[in-house]
Amino acid sequence: MKVGFFVGCNTAFNRPDLEQAVRYAFPALGIELDNLEGQSCCPSWGTMPSVDVVGWCAVGARNHTIAEEKGLDIVTVCGSCYGSLAESKYKMDTHPEIKAQVNEILKDIGREYKGTSNVRLTFYYLYHELGPDKIKEAVKHKLDGLTVALQPGCHTLWPSKVYYDKEEDTFHPRVLKEMCEALGATVGHYTRLIDCCGMGAMRSTDMEKSFKLVEKKLISMKNEVNPDLIITGCSSCLIQLDTAQDLLRSSKKINFEIPVLHFMQVLALCLGADPERVTGLAKTDVSRVVNRILEG
Amino acid sequence: MSSEQAARGVINLSESDSSLVNEIKELGGEELMECIQCAKCAAACPMVLAGFPFFNKRIIQAIFLGLRDALLDDSSIWACQSCNRCTEVCPREVNPFEIIQAMRRVAIREFALPTLSIEGLKSLYDTGHAVYLAGAGNTRVKVGLPEKPPSTVANPDALKELQAVIRKTALADLGIIPMDEPGV
Repeated sequence: MKVGFFVGCNTAFNRPDLEQAVRYAFPALGIELDNLEGQSCCPSWGTMPSVDVVGWCAVGARNHTIAEEKGLDIVTVCGSCYGSLAESKYKMDTHPEIKAQVNEILKDIGREYKGTSNVRLTFYYLYHELGPDKIKEAVKHKLDGLTVALQPGCHTLWPSKVYYDKEEDTFHPRVLKEMCEALGATVGHYTRLIDCCGMGAMRSTDMEKSFKLVEKKLISMKNEVNPDLIITGCSSCLIQLDTAQDLLRSSKKINFEIPVLHFMQVLALCLGADPERVTGLAKTDVSRVVNRILEG
Repeated sequence: MSSEQAARGVINLSESDSSLVNEIKELGGEELMECIQCAKCAAACPMVLAGFPFFNKRIIQAIFLGLRDALLDDSSIWACQSCNRCTEVCPREVNPFEIIQAMRRVAIREFALPTLSIEGLKSLYDTGHAVYLAGAGNTRVKVGLPEKPPSTVANPDALKELQAVIRKTALADLGIIPMDEPGV
């Protein structure tokens, strides 16, 4: 089994420990990763998508064709990459006139968008291609005794029509929960489970308003689940929940700290990865929960 | 309340810009006229929860009313998370997310875009990444990865390809960022 790894910007430059987690976990589960050499930004929402539809799809299509030429699907850990790439694909696949204009642009660089590769998010890919039971058999360490709160992430769910992997009910997502339970975790439910974390364009535009959302979310998690660990399905949510807590504590909005990791980091730890390499850049103190995982 | 205060809340429709609706439809918001202002999108929108003055339903309403300047003078359209809850719940398949993107496209054509977007576009063109941290090489090496990811930053030919693509898009005609041919 082989799949193309789309790294994106934030994972490559802000949280390469998460990139390393993916590069460890997939091969450890028997899935080879292709580098999709020469990939670029997805492009992210504030750039080409905000300029025009065809330009957005053209930059996206160049990335799609790298995977198409190799006959591979694309996996990513970033919700924005997942959303932007899936949406550009959906636009080109459902609007022949957009596809034709994009291919006119791509002709100059000797590429053609065909629409033969699917865009997948890591934990959905593993859920559907391997299944929770196989992952359970493969892990060396388990999350037994750990209570976790989940942050699936907006782009992992909506708009469901553009995604290849679908939840039965996107407002009551189950896949990330099942995957974490397969690793042995107790997953607690909290009221603001599917709320936005506030990362992204909102944080760039108005930090204070963005932090209102992450504050509400963290307090809901703390009061209703009191988790040992937050597990996210998206790299942007990881960055927001991991970096916001220190600032929220300084401004006396919260008085606690909950360690935060992406699902792929937790999975890599369970498969035996070196914690420094796959979680070494966390701002929250993850040492205690990492040790508990390695003992489990 | 003084008459001046009262007047502040009055929308003068004789000043409204009826061309805005067509512009939005041309820039990707094809389903705009399907909107019945039911506000289901607003109920799902993180921007409402965070307290922004404009959000999906109100942005569409302002477009209907031709309030171009009201939308351009406010940063709300740039705070949209592109989360697409609105697209998911809209009973009329308006795709409110795409309408907000179309409003950004209108704004960009009037050079009313935030510095961060200009920087993102420039970084995308120059490096292939909208978010690029020049000092990230050390961090990458620290966790056992090569200094550069296998993207356009490690592959000059791929970057040239991407730049050739971008030069063929609408961005090139807008003159927002310099787009010199690399190596010329």
